Amino acid sequence: MTTIISLTILGVLTLFLGIMKKQSWLLPVILLGLVVSMVLTLRDWNTFSSYYNGMIIVDNVSVAFSMALIFSAFLIFSLAAHYYRGVLRPLDDIYGVMIFALLGAVMMTSYGNLIMLFLGIETLSIALYVLAGSHKEAVTSNEATLKYFLLGSFLSGFLLFGIALIYGSSGSFDLGRISAFVTSCAGIYPPMFLAGLFLLIIGLAFKIAVVPFHFWAPDVYEGTPTLLTAFMATVVKTAAIIAMYRFFTHTFHGIHGVWDTTIWVMAALTILLGNLTGLYQPNLKRMLAYSSISHSGYMLLAVVAFSAMSDNALLLYTLSYSIATILAFAILILIREAHGNDYFSSLNGLAKTNPSIAFCLTIAMLSLAGIPPLAGFMAKYYLFTTALEQGLLWLVIVAIAGSAISVAYYFKPIMAMYLKESNGIKLMVETPYKVSIFFMALLVVLIGILPFLVIGLL
Amino acid sequence: MLTVILILLPLAISLILLTIREERVIRQFALAGSLAVFGVAVAAFIQYKTCSHCNLLFTADWLSTLGVSLKFGMDGISLLMVMLTTFLVPVIILSSFNHSYSRPSAFYSLIFLMEMALIGVFTSFDGLIFYIFWELALIPAWFICAVWGGKDRIRITFKFFIYTFVGSLFMLVALIYLYFLTPLPHSFDFQWLYAATLTPVEQTWIFAAFFLAFAIKIPVFPLHTWQPDTYTTAPGTGSMLLAGIMLKMGIYGMIRWMIPVCHIAVKQYAPVAIILAITGIVYASVIAIRQNDMKRLVAYSSIAHVGLIAAGVFTLTLHSLEGAVIQMVSHGINIVGLFVVIDAIEKRTNTRNISDLGGIALKAPRLAIVFMIILLGSIALPLTNGFIGEFLLLLGLFEYSVVFAAIAGLTIIFSAVYMLWMYQRTMLGRTNAITEQISDLTRIEMAALIPVVIMIFWIGLFPGMFLDVTLPDVLQIIHFTK
Amino acid sequence: MSAESLILFFIVGAFLVGFAIVFSIFVAPTSTNPQKAEPYECGIPTEGLTWLQFNVGYYLFAIIFLIFDVEAVFIFPWAVVMKEMGMIAFVEIVIFFFVLGLGLLYAWKKGALKWE
Repeated sequence: MTTIISLTILGVLTLFLGIMKKQSWLLPVILLGLVVSMVLTLRDWNTFSSYYNGMIIVDNVSVAFSMALIFSAFLIFSLAAHYYRGVLRPLDDIYGVMIFALLGAVMMTSYGNLIMLFLGIETLSIALYVLAGSHKEAVTSNEATLKYFLLGSFLSGFLLFGIALIYGSSGSFDLGRISAFVTSCAGIYPPMFLAGLFLLIIGLAFKIAVVPFHFWAPDVYEGTPTLLTAFMATVVKTAAIIAMYRFFTHTFHGIHGVWDTTIWVMAALTILLGNLTGLYQPNLKRMLAYSSISHSGYMLLAVVAFSAMSDNALLLYTLSYSIATILAFAILILIREAHGNDYFSSLNGLAKTNPSIAFCLTIAMLSLAGIPPLAGFMAKYYLFTTALEQGLLWLVIVAIAGSAISVAYYFKPIMAMYLKESNGIKLMVETPYKVSIFFMALLVVLIGILPFLVIGLL
Repeated sequence: MLTVILILLPLAISLILLTIREERVIRQFALAGSLAVFGVAVAAFIQYKTCSHCNLLFTADWLSTLGVSLKFGMDGISLLMVMLTTFLVPVIILSSFNHSYSRPSAFYSLIFLMEMALIGVFTSFDGLIFYIFWELALIPAWFICAVWGGKDRIRITFKFFIYTFVGSLFMLVALIYLYFLTPLPHSFDFQWLYAATLTPVEQTWIFAAFFLAFAIKIPVFPLHTWQPDTYTTAPGTGSMLLAGIMLKMGIYGMIRWMIPVCHIAVKQYAPVAIILAITGIVYASVIAIRQNDMKRLVAYSSIAHVGLIAAGVFTLTLHSLEGAVIQMVSHGINIVGLFVVIDAIEKRTNTRNISDLGGIALKAPRLAIVFMIILLGSIALPLTNGFIGEFLLLLGLFEYSVVFAAIAGLTIIFSAVYMLWMYQRTMLGRTNAITEQISDLTRIEMAALIPVVIMIFWIGLFPGMFLDVTLPDVLQIIHFTK
Repeated sequence: MSAESLILFFIVGAFLVGFAIVFSIFVAPTSTNPQKAEPYECGIPTEGLTWLQFNVGYYLFAIIFLIFDVEAVFIFPWAVVMKEMGMIAFVEIVIFFFVLGLGLLYAWKKGALKWE
């Protein structure tokens, strides 16, 4: 609860700093506020508490994932100084809305009641519809926000209808009571309940962008301003997957046989389709969008293969994926600024003009592909172990095939950087930005070599 | 302790090399570093012999919840492989002084990173650590071949990477599946993995996955298509590292993994594997005869020779397994020697085509002599190292099946054909415009090739030293198959 | 909550709505003439372009009204129990007003209360 309160205060503070016209204080205050929120969140470790009659549950899972979310947001904000450096209009509303989106994401990790879930999703989504269109002059940004808003609202309708049907059949919004209802049904589930469950799955599947609800993701990711795409690809995905994980494993675990085939199929299709389509993308941003779609598929493996280890696996996976993706986007921002576009040809010869930046992008790409000894490999390996333990051999084979395919497109930037001739344009990077990039690359390597820092927490 | 030093020292040298700017200092430091690593390996060898085959183990916890521990050690086979690696790297570095590579700090740093990964593969006693180092070896190899390679390197190295990576991914699945079959608590420790009980069906699938990964690495026909292009387009150093050491990882994996773990499946599918290997021998040898590019010829000859090793491994006889181990060492030394010579010729004449060359022996007698010695070692003339290995392998194959041994024996005949023919066309006869001004071997090249020649004869004349080291471990592996 | 009742629910709902529409098509009297179809502004013919850009001031006005309307809705139940709870209730509502007042301050400073 302290997380939610501290983030709200931070958001309001941001807005008020904007009114008081103290633009230069904005980023320092936000970064400090996020650190304070992380510290306050840590104080809730190993305490199990619930607020408002069980509407908000604070346990180790929610603390760990809230930390992951706030840390990802911290990394993104550390890049914001460079990204918005030339912008004249006041930025307090964009930053404020980002904090509120983060707040919605945190709410999605600690809900105990379906209404709180919906509240969190809507806070997150509406903030993101605004953020997607924040680049008002660019037509692509307007297109992205309109697509996202229309599809998102439509699917939130599905989500809400699903919640209503579940309430109608089980008599409560509370996760614990729904779980009790599931066990009391003893195998004969009312059709209204099953219909509600599937509508809920569909609503959440849209948020994670899994096949067949992924069609919005590439266009929206491409149109959104790049820093906010990083936010969408990491914070939103983490929040949505942990929301899905929570209600499947706490509430609907008893009903495993009904939904696991659906999730299984969605995961397999997502991994295959996401990776196959990623091969054909002409520019880095769209490629990263399809890569994030395929990574959602891998994350769904943890949902299907629920065991004692799977929340550790999910934490490690979302953390390594988020850091690697933010790193990739950070360098993407630099390339777009220098060349005006992010086609792979703009990456040509980066190893000669900016060797350290090229090395960091290589680390990000290799980690996302799952090559040892980087974080992505440990995350994938842990996930596959968890899945194999539950006997999902074929799903793991599909995931392995997807990994093999993904190496092909993750290597395109690496090949362009190291093997092609550049046209001489050097990237201009300020030191704080470079420090962020190196820090993220270091984290990726560190988590790969010392994964026991993350595993064993939950 | 020595084992850990063997892994960390190349890593440290690799990182330090990144900071040095001057090329001369980089070369000296790289050479000194590689000799230091070789010294540590020799010390490990002595310690191994004096404490009568203790395994020089080092254990540390890493991911105990997942049953993964940092277990490194060396038994006889690993020790020979580590000796091979640490012996060849100084030779390779010496031969690389012939060229002035751009960005030398990155280049030599990658060589040491690869050395670390290779030593890691050979000394890891834990399954997941084995896999991590296996994959890790691929990255510097790709960079060396892609950045400093020859023409069309982008497409060829990409194919090489994807091909090898896909194979290793299947190995990962098999490894994880195997992990769950170990007795509780699950662990990736080799001893536990050997103790896993598998039904014949499971054995078949795991065998298939491992075979795929190793067959791509070695390579075994028909998964060899990446190899000739990659060896030809790689820079001299790259092809030496790939052919000399990296492909041995595949054979080592077969001996260490496939045979003890899926022995029933190995016995069942051995005929298939042996037929594939022998087909590779004949196929590659015939193609090698028609090659004009010397590097491509050696690449195809490599497929032929390792085909024989692979065929021998599958017979599961004492002779052929011992032969496989010794031939791994011999083949590594010989093929690096061949590549050094070809590199030297290419540096002087700017061509690798046999049709362009001729009469080099008239102008560069030392080069011709050394080339002849290495070539004879490759053909497996008695008194050379190649003979010991191939003879043992053929003996083992003969014990398994006379027909297979007869066809496999063709490798010796074929290799004599293409090797001697290549020698005749390039070294003997009259000189032409290209080879008129050729100079003899420089001191650095001699320093690189003399150790190779010494080893050819040492192993050829006194193989007992090397075979004794590995005998107990080979016996133990055969014991697993009963 | 059986499957049949669910389906029946949907069918009856769809039928009722469809019936109302279709029925009115048949039963309602229609007489159209061109003058009835013209657009108008407050009873008189239009002046200038009718297809203008929407003035966002209407939207802001509506949103701010909505927020304070919901605030008013929360005050009604408070008013009912205030007397029994005494001082605590008073302090609590002051805090509530304060928080919403902060929101009003933000809207004010951002110029949402100005027209245009």
